[in-house]
Amino acid sequence: MFKNYIKIAWRNAIRQKQFTVLNILGLSIGICTCFIIGLYVHNEITYDTFHENADRIYRVNQPNIWGDWDEMVSSTGPNVATALRSDAPEFEEVTRLFSTGTQTIRANHNGDVALYNEERYFAAEENIFDVFSFNFSQGNPKTALSEPMTMVMTTKTAKRYFRNEDPIGKTVEVKSHDGTWDTYTVSGIIAEVPYKSHLQFDMIVSLKSYSEMMDAHGWKWIWTAFTTYGLVQEGTDMQAFTDKLQKIPPKWAPPTTEKIFNQTFEEFTAGHAWILDLQPLKEIYLSDSPAFNAFGPSGNPMFVNIFGAIGILVLLLSSINFMNLSTARSSKRAKEIGVRKVLGSKRKALIKQFVLESTLFVLTGTIIALLLVQSTLKIFNSIAEVELELIPYLINPVFLGIVLVFVLGLGLLSGSYPAFYLSMFEPVETLKGKISTKFRGKGIRNGLVIFQFTISIALVICTFFVQKQLSYTSSLDIGFKKDNILQIHNIEQIGFDTEVLKKKLEENPAFLNVGKSFGLPPNIWSGDRYKAKGSQNDVVQLRNVRTEEDYLEVLGVEFLAGRNFDSSRPNDKYKVILNEEAVKTLGWGSQNTYTTDSPVGKIVALASGGEDEFEVMGVVKDFNFNSVRQEIGPLVIIHHQNDKVWDYGAGLSFYSMRLNPEVIQNTGDLEALVANVQDDMAQIDSSIPFEYSFMDQEFENTFQSEKRMSIVLNIFTLMALIIACLGLFGLAAFTAEQRVKELSIRKVLGAKVSELAVLFSSEFAKLICVSILLAAPLAYVLVDEWLKGFAYRTPIDIWVFVLAAISAVVITFLTVGFQTIKAASSNPIINLRTE
Amino acid sequence: MLLQLNNISKWVQSGGQKIYLLKDINFWVHDGDFISIMGPSGSGKSTLLNVIGMLDDFNEGEYTFLDESVHKLKEKHRANLYKQYIGFVFQSYHLIDELTVRENLEMPLLYKKQSSSERRALVADMLDRFNIVGKKDLFPSQLSGGQQQLVGIARALIANPKLILADEPTGNLNSKQGEEIMEIFKELNNEGVTIIQVTHSEKNAAYGSRVINLLDGSIQ
Repeated sequence: MFKNYIKIAWRNAIRQKQFTVLNILGLSIGICTCFIIGLYVHNEITYDTFHENADRIYRVNQPNIWGDWDEMVSSTGPNVATALRSDAPEFEEVTRLFSTGTQTIRANHNGDVALYNEERYFAAEENIFDVFSFNFSQGNPKTALSEPMTMVMTTKTAKRYFRNEDPIGKTVEVKSHDGTWDTYTVSGIIAEVPYKSHLQFDMIVSLKSYSEMMDAHGWKWIWTAFTTYGLVQEGTDMQAFTDKLQKIPPKWAPPTTEKIFNQTFEEFTAGHAWILDLQPLKEIYLSDSPAFNAFGPSGNPMFVNIFGAIGILVLLLSSINFMNLSTARSSKRAKEIGVRKVLGSKRKALIKQFVLESTLFVLTGTIIALLLVQSTLKIFNSIAEVELELIPYLINPVFLGIVLVFVLGLGLLSGSYPAFYLSMFEPVETLKGKISTKFRGKGIRNGLVIFQFTISIALVICTFFVQKQLSYTSSLDIGFKKDNILQIHNIEQIGFDTEVLKKKLEENPAFLNVGKSFGLPPNIWSGDRYKAKGSQNDVVQLRNVRTEEDYLEVLGVEFLAGRNFDSSRPNDKYKVILNEEAVKTLGWGSQNTYTTDSPVGKIVALASGGEDEFEVMGVVKDFNFNSVRQEIGPLVIIHHQNDKVWDYGAGLSFYSMRLNPEVIQNTGDLEALVANVQDDMAQIDSSIPFEYSFMDQEFENTFQSEKRMSIVLNIFTLMALIIACLGLFGLAAFTAEQRVKELSIRKVLGAKVSELAVLFSSEFAKLICVSILLAAPLAYVLVDEWLKGFAYRTPIDIWVFVLAAISAVVITFLTVGFQTIKAASSNPIINLRTE
Repeated sequence: MLLQLNNISKWVQSGGQKIYLLKDINFWVHDGDFISIMGPSGSGKSTLLNVIGMLDDFNEGEYTFLDESVHKLKEKHRANLYKQYIGFVFQSYHLIDELTVRENLEMPLLYKKQSSSERRALVADMLDRFNIVGKKDLFPSQLSGGQQQLVGIARALIANPKLILADEPTGNLNSKQGEEIMEIFKELNNEGVTIIQVTHSEKNAAYGSRVINLLDGSIQ
């Protein structure tokens, strides 16, 4: 019997080639899309699972004590770890990582000097490898970082410095802030850091190398350059444990607040709870929060949700297609069903037959889909910037089990409706040929088509708005012209006298302005606590950046009150410039009150540690110094030579130059210019790595993940649309066959081909119109929700909906048009004679 | 007595009026009968045949088949009954287009769950008997109408039924092919198979031992 079913399925498939191809194609595309999304989602949710004790590792998060206490950050002071060691025996191990920032490293290799900036660099305690399981190819993980001035690096990094020589015991030099070089010995080699790790690094040095500095540092609880991880004992009650941890900050932090701020713990926290929160290791990557001290990539839970939903929808669409085409085709099989019933088949056997048939279809579709996945995964990987692989899954019994369940499940699902529907036929009716004139199940089929197109059209509208938002953000007026600004990095390594370099740059006709700053938009993150002097206003959090007067010229920001710094006036050194938002935040009014009550001349005072006061000498118009994802915050611009304030921005400094468009006309000019500047730098100090960037690109980069998402979204939307069109095409073909007699009679009675075409297409156009009406509000809600994540939003214009509606109708007519013309122009005599 | 119909009526409602398809039919069939049902179009010939074949319901009356009261049986039981004892031959053959001659013949046996060696033997017998061994791997569309109907009869016979119901078996055939088919029915009847056929043709009706004339649902 089984063989007979397969035979019939095969011969039917061959006989009705068009349906078979549509069915298999739709299924394969759907399953392929679903698999790729499945791999992507699985990849995203299994970060950091390679650590032996992954289930027991937690990161300690705390509130942002430097700003918004409601915001959690993953940075802690160094002494959170020591307090945990003494008060929290539930932790088997506690280890901390110190973010040192980018370091310049050199190594002498037989006379060749290898010199690199190492960004993926941090210091860690010796027990780090008791917590995390990285694969050592050389050296002992237990002892590698137990001595000061030792370092572990990856194989790839070691190759860069030492080529093929054994790196163990070799030394590298790390440039310190005062320009001298510290020597570190390589004590261990890690084969490779798995890419599915939230902790990415090329080099780790022993934290003991910094012990002198750490002992001398008074900011034990507020020096938030550390990340604390703990390995809990097995069987720990996490809720009770977390509750218990809350006693630690009030017990240990007071000496720090008293010493640094002269404030009690309560005064410092101002009533906020200094929470210590334990975040499971496996959640760190995907949750993408809290921010700061990220040692590697982070995922985006929104993308996982969106793509997961799309994967399921696309699969649903292709199953619907399958059901639709199968039932539509059923009248062709009606005779076979009737004969089988008369010859003794039970209904159960017929259901079995059709479910088996659809399972065979799904199986074929799945095999083709797997081939498709394998052949398109590379492209997807490069677009989505992931490293998905199919082969390891294919030898994984769990995955194969899932695929099997999937094939059977989808086979049953997509086969069940046709099976039950077809097997219901009464043999007398089918044998008399009554079924084919009746076209049953039309309502359900139409409903399914409407569902498909609602989803597809909604996706198209969403995709459109994602594009629109992206182009909106990149064309937004951000308060200054961000294009044509070249920035060179690592200027702090030149030392204090950077004027020589500046002169050279200024002499270059390619540059209109040259200015130094200690931070670059869109990455100005440093901030401090300030107070308006002489008012009862609260302490407020303001961002700050140190610049030269010339830097503001490079940006071309507009002054609303007061003036820029002037290097010829030494008193300017201790004055500050505010942006509008900062004036507002300090309670000094907005732009229209400047004339009556000018903020210029008022005093702003530091409110953390020192009590230094600075006079406001100017107010600039608001400009975006962060990604346009955020609204413009309050900003204090500090003179670059002001030595009373903390050296914000980790001491990094940059020269920015506005390009002269008359000199720099093409990329060739630009390349020559960059090479030129590199020479200038090298003449001053060849040990400084040359790095440069363009401001507009940096702004673009803040939307990189959205851009990637939009491309992937485009692809999946296209898939959904193709599947829906395949379904519509198949259904139109079927309807044409069904109605060929009716159309022929109409034609004999005098209808024109064009009239028939309209008659035929209008039925489908109606369905699409209903879909549009359903899709528009759905898309509106989704787009509105997504746009809420942005400070600057593209308007939800009605014309996008109209455009989507028109394209949907056009696509419909193109899809059914062929069938329409074919059906309407066929010879009526032939069609009527077949009776 | 193979089967007996007592006062069988079948009607449909149309605009509040009963329209009788069959009216008060009394009819019996003995083992070995060869009965022809005749009558003009719309007289209820096919409906009567379908009722006898249990493919169609009736509204009133009693139907006894091999001492079983068909009108009292449940749907499923009734289906089992006709599957076991009745073979059907159709005017338009109703072979499955996707299956070869051999596979079409095999189909009823598959539903009876016979072993593959039994099936092979029975199919071979049938092919032999109807002289179509050479056609066994052809598809229905590759055969002439007469050949297709031969396969149809072979298929009806293969499960060894007591009764063959044939609805205008020669309706789609030319006269020579028709004669051949009727000769085969005659032979089968001589071998003891009971046959009821619906026909328009006096000539074909003459092959039978008894003729029933229907007009507007009633036996004349």
